[in-house]
Formats: sequence, structure tokens, C-alpha cells
Amino acid sequence: MSSPATLTLEQGLTHLASVVGPEHAHLRGETIVAAPGDKQQIAEILRFAQTNGLAVTPTGAATKLGWGNPVAPDIQLSLARLHSLHEHAWQDMTCTVEAGCSWAAMQSELARHGQMVALDPLWPECATVGGIVASNDSGALRLKFGGLRDLIIGMTVVLADGTIAKTGGKVVKNVAGYDLHKLMTGSFGTLAVIAEVNFRLHPVEEHARTWTVIAHDDAHQDAAVFVEPLRALMDSQMTPSCVQLRTSKQECALDIRIAAVPECLDEYAARIQGTFGKFAVTEAGEAVWQARQRLFDRSDVVVLKVSLLPSEVCPVSSELQQIAAADGLDIYAVAHANGLMTVALNSAPEAAIALIKRLRARIAGFGGSVIALQIPDELRGWVNVWGPNSGALALMREIKRRFDPGRILNPGRFVGNI
Amino acid sequence: MLRSRKLLYIVLSAGHIAELRAAVGEDGLITGQSQLQTYECDGLTNFRVLPGAVVLPRTAQQVQAVVRVCARHKIPFVSRGAGTGLSGGALPAAGGIVISLARMNRILEVDFANRFVVVEPGVINAHVTQRVAQQGYFYAPDPSSQSVCTIGGNVAENSGGAHCLKYGFTVTHVLALDVVLPSGELVQLGSPTLDAPGYDLPGVFVGSEGTLGVATRITLRIVKRPEVVQTLLAAFDSVQAAGQTVSDIIAARMLPSALEIMDALAIQAAEAAVHAHYPVCKGLLLVELDGPGSEVETLMREVQQLCRNNGAWEVRVAQSEQERALVWKGRKAAFAAVGRISPNYIVQDGVIPRTALPHLLTEIDSMASAASLRVANVFHAGDGNLHPLVLYDAAVAGEEEKALDLSYRILRLCVDHGGSITGEHGVGKEKQEALGYMFSEPDLDTMQLVRCAFDPENIANPDKVFPRPRLCAEKPGPYTPHPLETAGIAEIF
Repeated sequence: MSSPATLTLEQGLTHLASVVGPEHAHLRGETIVAAPGDKQQIAEILRFAQTNGLAVTPTGAATKLGWGNPVAPDIQLSLARLHSLHEHAWQDMTCTVEAGCSWAAMQSELARHGQMVALDPLWPECATVGGIVASNDSGALRLKFGGLRDLIIGMTVVLADGTIAKTGGKVVKNVAGYDLHKLMTGSFGTLAVIAEVNFRLHPVEEHARTWTVIAHDDAHQDAAVFVEPLRALMDSQMTPSCVQLRTSKQECALDIRIAAVPECLDEYAARIQGTFGKFAVTEAGEAVWQARQRLFDRSDVVVLKVSLLPSEVCPVSSELQQIAAADGLDIYAVAHANGLMTVALNSAPEAAIALIKRLRARIAGFGGSVIALQIPDELRGWVNVWGPNSGALALMREIKRRFDPGRILNPGRFVGNI
Repeated sequence: MLRSRKLLYIVLSAGHIAELRAAVGEDGLITGQSQLQTYECDGLTNFRVLPGAVVLPRTAQQVQAVVRVCARHKIPFVSRGAGTGLSGGALPAAGGIVISLARMNRILEVDFANRFVVVEPGVINAHVTQRVAQQGYFYAPDPSSQSVCTIGGNVAENSGGAHCLKYGFTVTHVLALDVVLPSGELVQLGSPTLDAPGYDLPGVFVGSEGTLGVATRITLRIVKRPEVVQTLLAAFDSVQAAGQTVSDIIAARMLPSALEIMDALAIQAAEAAVHAHYPVCKGLLLVELDGPGSEVETLMREVQQLCRNNGAWEVRVAQSEQERALVWKGRKAAFAAVGRISPNYIVQDGVIPRTALPHLLTEIDSMASAASLRVANVFHAGDGNLHPLVLYDAAVAGEEEKALDLSYRILRLCVDHGGSITGEHGVGKEKQEALGYMFSEPDLDTMQLVRCAFDPENIANPDKVFPRPRLCAEKPGPYTPHPLETAGIAEIF
């Protein structure tokens, strides 16, 4: 227990057990794990934490707990018991879901009416709505449907002082009051505990096909060969759901997924063939869209989230290939056409640090960013995982101070040690 | 309704005026009474307040200089684009400063490879599309006032328009902003690349109605113009049948770029104003599909069938770009056109879950009959955004109050059905009280935390949006004078 000195771990556990029930509170090392059963219990826990100056980390399935700066929480607030899809107004194409619901469980319920939240985050089988929202994860579908900020229409959150607050609503179009849910999305649990999220929904893409374009010629395995055809594709009037470039020393492939009415898909196949004329275009299975997630398979590799301008996707991928070849590094990259790239690097610590610095210098000019999502502990002291501080950091700190003056919510985890 | 709230009236001193003159130059400052009157209201003309001065900066640095004067002396300021807002968002603070962004109207950068443009806040919405149209792009948010309203105003209100059903709102299209904070500091929020590390400050700034600062440079996403756009008009014997068709289109897993409904009164008004050749009917549905040619044609056949299934007796697809433009001209002119059939009217902006539409329309009908008033209905049916137009004659004693009362009761009805008091016009001055009906005190207090982080002195568009004046250090208890009163530059009337 960090403070006050008078409160022992056992006293804390006893109190939280009285709030959530003894079967839902236990000790894990120096941390009390408490799983509230409703919003009021979340509020009770936070009030207790605030009064006693205890650090709280809200968790879902803990799939991304290593992202950001490490926090040693006194209380791990597990949302596991809040896992219901409260409401699916399928005719209005909206839903309300509790934060602890796994992404896949939510999607399978929504699919009963042919609908989905149009986002394909990492580890959907176990990752929870709250964790995905708090870390602003997204996948290849973002190209067509936007990110969480475009899909979330409302939220219920619990503030550090126990206030339960709603923001937004259950209708897609709504400009009443501030969009606090946008502030909460991607805030890594530093402003409030997300209890419930309202989403706008889209129809499931029933008829979709994926094509893979391979730079087959040895001389043309460089991602730079895709600069022109990718530009042409994105400048065309086709509206692909997903486009990703996969690169490594040995590989350079571009995947394209298009959904449409069935009678039009052959026409798209022909258009894609026309755009990528000199390359081999083959139809592929849905499995290629797992490529980004596979980069996280090994826990000992460094995984970076790199945000680029779309026009830089091929050039930066190509540069990474060249660095890999020149320095003998294992670098795998999956870049979506919207400019979001995931890079996995298996190398000695010095080389990882050097690569992060080099990438940050390369993309600073156009406002890009490099976040080290997965990083071995021994590198943490050597790299700022969030990158250089933004000019708006003071404002962000002030927002944090207003929401969480006692700094109990994930203290230090976010940018600038917020 | 404007309540009998005590008005804080600012008295600018000669010293303040001199500081403003130093900030923007003689030609950037307006203090003459008759010229100031130009700025006393926005599109919500029944609220009027005279500002103490208007400044017309040409650069972000001049905006900073003005805001610093305001910050130094705790003088309220209200930023203003074209003044087309319909909720009184640009209504001046009494005796305060209006920052008109009209002179900051340059398109600074166009990047087709990355599909964005960088603009100053005074750029007119339609000019963005005009600038990129030749290369096959457009700027998607299209409020009905798009030929005159500015991007800065759109950012403040998070403007939508008929096509936001498919393309999203202003916030969907804003990548980054330079903002002069109420302290005078200039900061960049967001980035042209996605997911800049840190809180999503553009997300909370867009739609904050000028209460968090002044945007001076905005990076906007542009969208590839679809290969084909087809617009269909279908005439029904009731608004409910048109509404059911909307539900059927959505249930058929289509996402049209627009789904609009007009009722008989709105059609009559639009016809009188622009002769859009609409069929004379009780419920007119306008469906626009866009995308690759073959796909649009396939889906349009399906839409036509759904219309007929619901009893449409005329289904017409616009055959030329001119015909399509005329269809839209009628729709976009609908608000102003109502002036042709009624001396006065109030435009409301409620949102409901789409499925509540038939029930709500019936209730509005009976409320209107009970009040002996007429209500014309125009709505973005795809997203449940209603624009009931309450018609009245201000010359008839008591009718304006009755009309206002009806319009607010309609908003409450929207909230009671799980909707919102505003879909695109903003809360502004007009719907402050209604916001308190939609959100509880803890919700509003939480929003206030953001307000106080950006603007602890409460000088950026004060006394808007929120139901009652709140100060950042406010504690419940006896009356505490506003800092402006204490400083001797404001009086309470």
C-alpha cells in the first residue's frame, strides 16, 4: 500500500471485499484485485482509493496491460463481471455494452441481426470493450469505417471521486454538450473508469473478397514498387474495406479487401488486376488479416505503433526493409493504407533503441509518431515509449488534474507520465 | 427560452480599446455603435446582444494578441464565422469582444496524396470542395448553409448536413487544429497523422461551441468523389410510410449517403421558394446512393422496390445533374422557404432513435393541434434528426411564446424517446436549459471539468451551452461576485 501508512493491505482487502463481496476480492502480490458487480461498486472502490491515495488500474482481460509506462497499482479494478450487452436496438443500429464484455462475445450477439461494431481490434476473443476503447485499438477496417472515435456515440464513466457520469447518448447524431467519450477513448484509464459504451453499428459485410498482390520478382521485393499502384488504388473510386502492406526482408505483399453486392465483386477483381497489372494478384483467405496480430506473438520482441501520412506507407516500409537488410535485423511490418503501421523488431536492445530514434527522426517532419507498445523491461529506462512530448502536454496535464486530482487512476502510465 | 437571468454587462475602457487596437490595427477594430449592430446576433435572430468591440484579426498571432488582452483583463470573447448558426452560439457577451474570423479565409495547403487540406477558420465550407473538385475530391460535411458558413463555425458546432449519415460529421473530418487557448497560448491539437499520442483533444474541441478557444488553422480530411450519385424522390400518402421505407432500407443493410423526409407543409414551402418540382404529397422521401456505378444501380433498384412496397405512388430518379441539384436546392432551402408560408417560424433540431419516428410525429401533430399552431417537418430521417419548424405570427399577441413553448416541448419529447436536444445546430444560447433536461448535474459537472481545464477564467463564449453559469472554483453557497465585478469592469443588471 502506497499510503497512508496506517492502512494495511489486509485492511484494504477487507474493505473492498465488503464492497464487492468476498468472492470477488483477493490479493495478488501487493495488489488487491477487486471485481465490482455494478457502477455503484466501481464508484465505492474509487472513493475508497481516492480517500486513501491508492493507485488503481482498471483492467479487462489484461491483454494490453504492458502498453504505456508501467504502473504498480494498489488496486486492480477488474471489469470482468460487467460483461453484458445491455441493449441492441438493431433497428436503430446502436448498442450499449458493458466494459468487461469481450469483443467477440459482443460481436456474436450483434451478428444475430447481421450487425457489427465496424472495428477489428487485436485479440478479439479475449480483449474487452473497455480495454480496447481505453487503448484506442483499431485494425484494418478503420480505413473504411473510421476508428473508435467515429463509432462510439456515448459512454458511462466513473470518475476518481466516484461520480457516475454519462456523455453522448444513444443516437448517432448528437452535438449536445462536450464529447467526453472522445476524451476517454485512448486515455489509458487515466481519466475515469469506463463502465459502459454506446456504439453505432454497421451491417456485417456479407460479401467480401480479399486479394493479395505480391512483388514476386526478386528485384522488386522492395515496398517502393507499390508506391504508384497503391496511390492509384486509393485515388480510385473503389472503396476497399481494408488495405495493408506486409513487409519483411523476404516478403512484400499488399492485401486488399472489398465488400460489395455479389454481382459487383468480379468487376472489382478486374479493376484491381488492372491497377496492379505487372504484379501477381491472387485471391486470398481472410487469414491474411491476422498479420498485424501475429507481430505480437512473441513477447520478447519490440512492437511499435507507427503513425504515418498515407503517402509515406510504402517509402517507410521500404526503408525498414533496407535497414533490416543492411543491419541484419528481423523487422516485420504491417502497414494499413490509412498510415497506421505496426512494426515488430527482434534484435539486440541497442539496435531497437537506435531504430526507434531513427524512425522518430524520420517522421517528425510531418507530425508522425512512434509508440513502443510492447517493449522488454530492460529497454524501458532507455526509451520514452510515448515519444517526444506534444506542445499540448500542459493542457493534457491540466485535464488530468481536473479529472483525477489525487492521481489515483493509472498514475504515470500515459504520455508525459500523466 | 431566454430566461430572466441576470446579465453581466462588460464596460470596456479606453485602455482596453487601445490594447485591442494595438493587437489588430485600426482597420481590424470596430467600436462604432451602428457597425457593432451587425454582430448583435447570429442566425437565431430573436436573441440580440450588443458587443463592446469587434476585432477582425488576419493572423493567428493577432488572435493571440486579442485573446491575451481578454485574458489579462478577464474580458469575455465570442468567436464568430459567418454568423449563420441557429442556436445563438455566436451571440456576443454583453459589452464583450467578438472575434470575427472572416478575414482569415485562406486555404493554406492541399495534399491530394494524403487527402487533406489545411484551412483558416474563415474559409467558407463550399469553397473547400470547390478547391479540390477538379481532382475528384470533396469535403463531406454539408450543412444547408454551406455556401456561406465557415469551417471555423462548423468546427465550433460539429456541423453535419444531409450527407453525414454516410460520411460523418465535422469531427470525423478534422485531423488537427491550431487553437488559441483562452490564456492566449497557441497550441496544436492532433496531427495530420492518426492517433497522435495523448488525449484526443481535437475530438473534444470540435463541437465545443467556442467555449474552449479559437481555432486558427484546421486540417481537414477530403474524400474521393464517388463514381456515381443517384437521387430518388418517392411520394407517399403519409410521413409514416416514408419513415417505414427508411427503416426497410436500413434493414436491407444499405447505407445511403442521404435519407431525407419532408412533410406536406415543408414541400409546399420549398415549392413556393425554388420550384423543385416535388410531387404534391403527405410524405416525400429523398434517397441518395453513391459509389461505384454497378453497385449503385443494383441497390437503387432495391430501394425503388422498397418504396413501392410501402405504397409510394410516384418514384422518380433524377435523370441529370441539374435535376439532382434542383432536388437538393428544394431540400436545403426548406428552412428559409417556410418564410413564404408563415410570417415567423422557429427551427428546432431534435434527434430520436429512428424507430421512434412514427410515434413522435403523431405526438407532435397532436401537440401542435392543441396549441393551434402549424409544424412543418423536415428531417434527416436516416439518423433520426428532426427539424420541426414551428410556424407562428409574432404580430399575434402571445403566439411567439406559445411557439417557443411548443418547440421546447418537442425537444423534451425527443429526450424522453431516448434522443437528443440537438443533432447539428448546437446548444448555444437557445437550448441551455434543455441541456439540463438531457443531462444530470453530475454529467454536466464532468463536462465542466474540461471547460475549466481549457478556460479557468470562463471568458471564452461564457454563459453558453451549460444551463447555469458556473465558475471553475465554484462551491455551493452564498452569492460570490464574478471576478469581472470584483475587477470593476462589469456590472450586474
